[in-house]
Amino acid sequence: MLEQQLVNGFTLGLIYALIAVGYTMVYGVIELINFAHGEIYMLGAFLTLSFISLGLPLPLAVLAAMLATAAIGVLLDVIAYRPLREAPRLAALITAIGMSIFLQNLAMIIWGSRPLPFPKQALPAFFAESALTFADVSISWMQVAIYVVAIVLMIGLNLVITRTRVGTAMRALAQNQTAAALMGINVNRVISFTFALGSGMGAVAGIMVSMYYNTMYPTMGYLAGVKAFAAAVLGGIGSVPGAMLGGVVLGIAETLGAGYISSPYRDGVAYAVMILVIIFRPSGLLGRAVVDKA
Amino acid sequence: MRGTVTTLKYLLAAAALAYPLMPFRDVYVLHVLVLIMVYMVLAMGLNILPGFCGLLDLGFVGFYGIGAYTAGLLTIHYNMSFWLIVPLAVLNGALFGVLLGSPTLRLVGDYFAIVTFGFSELVVLFLTNEIWLTRGPLGVPGIAPVSIDVTWLASLLGISERWRYAFRGEAPYYYLGMAMVLLVYVVMRRLEDSRLGRAWLAIREDPMAAASSGIDLFAYKVIAFAVSTGIGALAGAFFARWTLFISPDMFKFWESFLVLCMVVLGGLGNINGALVGAIILIALGEVLRVALPKLGLPAETRFLAYGLIMVLIMRFRPGGIFTQVAESTMQSGLIKELRAKLAARRTA
Amino acid sequence: MLGKRISRVTLFVAALGVAAGLSAGPALADGAIKIAVPAAFTGSAAGYGENIKAGVSMKVDEINAAGGINGKKIEVEYFDDQCEPREAATVSTSIVNDADVVGIVGHLCSSAHLAGLPAYVREGIPAITPTATSVAISEKNKDEAGKIWSFRNVYRDDFQGKFLADYMDKIMGLKKVAVFYENNDYGIGLKEAFVKEAKKLGLTVVGEEAYKKGDQDYTPQLTKLKAAAPQGLFVAGYYSEGALIADQAAKLGLVVPKFGADGFDNADYVKLGGKAADNTFLTAPFLAETAGPDARKFLDAFRAKYNRDIDWMSANAYDAAAILAEAIAKVGPDRAKIREYLAGMTTPEKGYKGITGNNYFDAGGDCQKTAYVKEVKDGKFIPASKQMN
Repeated sequence: MLEQQLVNGFTLGLIYALIAVGYTMVYGVIELINFAHGEIYMLGAFLTLSFISLGLPLPLAVLAAMLATAAIGVLLDVIAYRPLREAPRLAALITAIGMSIFLQNLAMIIWGSRPLPFPKQALPAFFAESALTFADVSISWMQVAIYVVAIVLMIGLNLVITRTRVGTAMRALAQNQTAAALMGINVNRVISFTFALGSGMGAVAGIMVSMYYNTMYPTMGYLAGVKAFAAAVLGGIGSVPGAMLGGVVLGIAETLGAGYISSPYRDGVAYAVMILVIIFRPSGLLGRAVVDKA
Repeated sequence: MRGTVTTLKYLLAAAALAYPLMPFRDVYVLHVLVLIMVYMVLAMGLNILPGFCGLLDLGFVGFYGIGAYTAGLLTIHYNMSFWLIVPLAVLNGALFGVLLGSPTLRLVGDYFAIVTFGFSELVVLFLTNEIWLTRGPLGVPGIAPVSIDVTWLASLLGISERWRYAFRGEAPYYYLGMAMVLLVYVVMRRLEDSRLGRAWLAIREDPMAAASSGIDLFAYKVIAFAVSTGIGALAGAFFARWTLFISPDMFKFWESFLVLCMVVLGGLGNINGALVGAIILIALGEVLRVALPKLGLPAETRFLAYGLIMVLIMRFRPGGIFTQVAESTMQSGLIKELRAKLAARRTA
Repeated sequence: MLGKRISRVTLFVAALGVAAGLSAGPALADGAIKIAVPAAFTGSAAGYGENIKAGVSMKVDEINAAGGINGKKIEVEYFDDQCEPREAATVSTSIVNDADVVGIVGHLCSSAHLAGLPAYVREGIPAITPTATSVAISEKNKDEAGKIWSFRNVYRDDFQGKFLADYMDKIMGLKKVAVFYENNDYGIGLKEAFVKEAKKLGLTVVGEEAYKKGDQDYTPQLTKLKAAAPQGLFVAGYYSEGALIADQAAKLGLVVPKFGADGFDNADYVKLGGKAADNTFLTAPFLAETAGPDARKFLDAFRAKYNRDIDWMSANAYDAAAILAEAIAKVGPDRAKIREYLAGMTTPEKGYKGITGNNYFDAGGDCQKTAYVKEVKDGKFIPASKQMN
């Protein structure tokens, strides 16, 4: 049973990791907790649904949804967060919460508040079946797909951050915004790019989750968002490898907690982790030390 | 002009006091007004931290829930009088405030907000899962309404009757609510002018200067938090003995968000603004509840509107919708003098 | 200073004015009889609310078309409580405040009903709920004089749980089962009753796990339950989570018959669960296939109007509305008299014979009705081959 739980936890963890990188990148560059990121994840799934019902084949629908969510992420920044760059942090935080509520209810109005199934016909048939079964552990093809896609995306993200110019610009911004601007970096452009990148990854997570569980609903972003944020904090907010690690660790911790300790408190694992990490080790597992301003 | 306004104020107060006794009174309107009063208290409570310490408590609903459950459980298990429960609930709320605040009030704004958020979610989980204590999702039905029992007075006078009046309907709660709002308001105003309030103001305006004046930032923050959570618990206790049924999903994050909206609307740190914010949002909610189906829009539009309001206020009127109301808190001569002193210290 | 005072005063007056204006509802059509139907018409339970509306409106239209009650038409006002206790409390004050409302069909959800009950009991207005199954309602529906104001024509959760345990033991011959329940009053009520009866029958419950509404990932708990090797899985919850559970159980290799209660009775269970939804047995208060000839007429009319087969909520709502209407017809539009009449329907002879069977109430306001079992086979709901009533 332990092996199966680990497999379950690893799958869950990769999903959290994909969402968590979005939080951590945005926090890294503008020090804002983008509360609405969970809704981006949710919109990824719903937009894919809409594109499929418009007639697009699955790969195109996914791509279109990713681009659309990236655009929404950028829009979020430009319309809601950019005007508040100089304002107190509290203002930006409140705006983020407001946007999150706004998007959630917008989705409810557009797609209804009932859970919707992922269109079965769009998926290749064998996806739903169980794939490998060995020693009391079963892994479905869908899970395998999640592993492959998530790992590929995370390697890709790492490459973008470390090897490309825009990635270097992101890291520079995260370190010192003024200096970066003085070096000729177009701050607004890079921030928008960060939002786009993070949103795209979050959208992929949403799409895969709705395929894997065969269902999506407008409030799915809330809980997943909170947990992914906890994962980002665990890994060290601002650190992308940290978010990936934090995601996996949280996923496994939550699954093992639910399986062995107490299933009703399963969500509590994320909250407890978040609170404990922030109080006792704010830099998380891989993050740099945070200067306390109290 | 002054005279007219004062007369108007007295007329309004008289009307408000007399309304439940009028034959044309509407129970639904009374119910909504009492609801507004509950939220007024919540808004005033939440307002303390951002107003006086520049911190945001995203988990305020947790203390609201603690107060409500303290009151509800004590009532159904021990049939305790409401008047005894109130101080107990407030103390419980303040206690949890101190417990949560001590490890967390040194944190930076964002982190503090997140930790309080996590706390309130854990409170809901606890209320939902610990069925042996809280009856979990089954909720606590059949809470006795508030009652005034002066039988002891009767027996003093040698009368062997039960002099007990149990609240029925909305009207008694209306008056009790008014008393509660008034009490909290007066306490807040007195605090503002007190040494505590001045220290808080100093912390908000310039923590560095305040610290160098010998103010123990941390201790004052903890006190502010405890006052805030105690007030939240007070509202919770009233709420439990008013609606007579509570369950864990009445205390979800959404409530924190709603109260936050009210405080933001009225202007962070602004007591009068908090009251106004409560009135506007609850009234708006009820208006929308009726109007939306007529316009053919789904009910979710109501919540969408709240989210939009938050974003717009932060963007265009971060001081709150009535900036004049915002400035009124700064009118006190003492405050002006203090600000001048702090400004001098800063530039020195 | 002045500006602020005036703006505050105007605001307060405006708010009062708006609120007062809101409460002036539309005037009642001359001589009409009004009933209130509070249920969820928005939010996640909106689908169920629509079912209730369908049932009530069909009955009311039927009565009005035949001339109404003693010549007076029935008017229905629907109130949205979103299945939320706080909304239900607010809505209940509107209802009791409206002197024209003589009776209530609702609420939909147990928690909402419990929140509205104090107002109904205090002000004295009778309510019949067609769908709220929580046991707590029977404990909270009496006023100080001991009179019951809330009735229901659906069975209680403890009855369903007990029934399922009996069914698994006697009809399906299972020896070891696992329970996966939703952590709310509905799921816990079902689980408690089930486990109690199972113990009496000697049916071993090898595992009890909980989940929360809206959860998506059930694999940790299912893995744990699978390790205990149950022969059946009782999912005490609603169809949207149930479908996911069925799907994930299948993926994990837990292939056993699944059991559910009335919360599973919805076409979306099959839509969301796909092939994994097969081999599920659920209790239902109403089976179209076993209904009598009068019921058949209604079923066809329903299918013609709404383009789908009837569900048990609509059927119960239809009968609840009919019971209320009959009471009004017999004693007139008087809240207290209607209550007396309903409280007097204590024997099968005095019951109301509707499409859902014979509806009569016991001392707690509860209805003695039997349960049927449906099965999901090849993506369709069919009556289970073996019934137990």
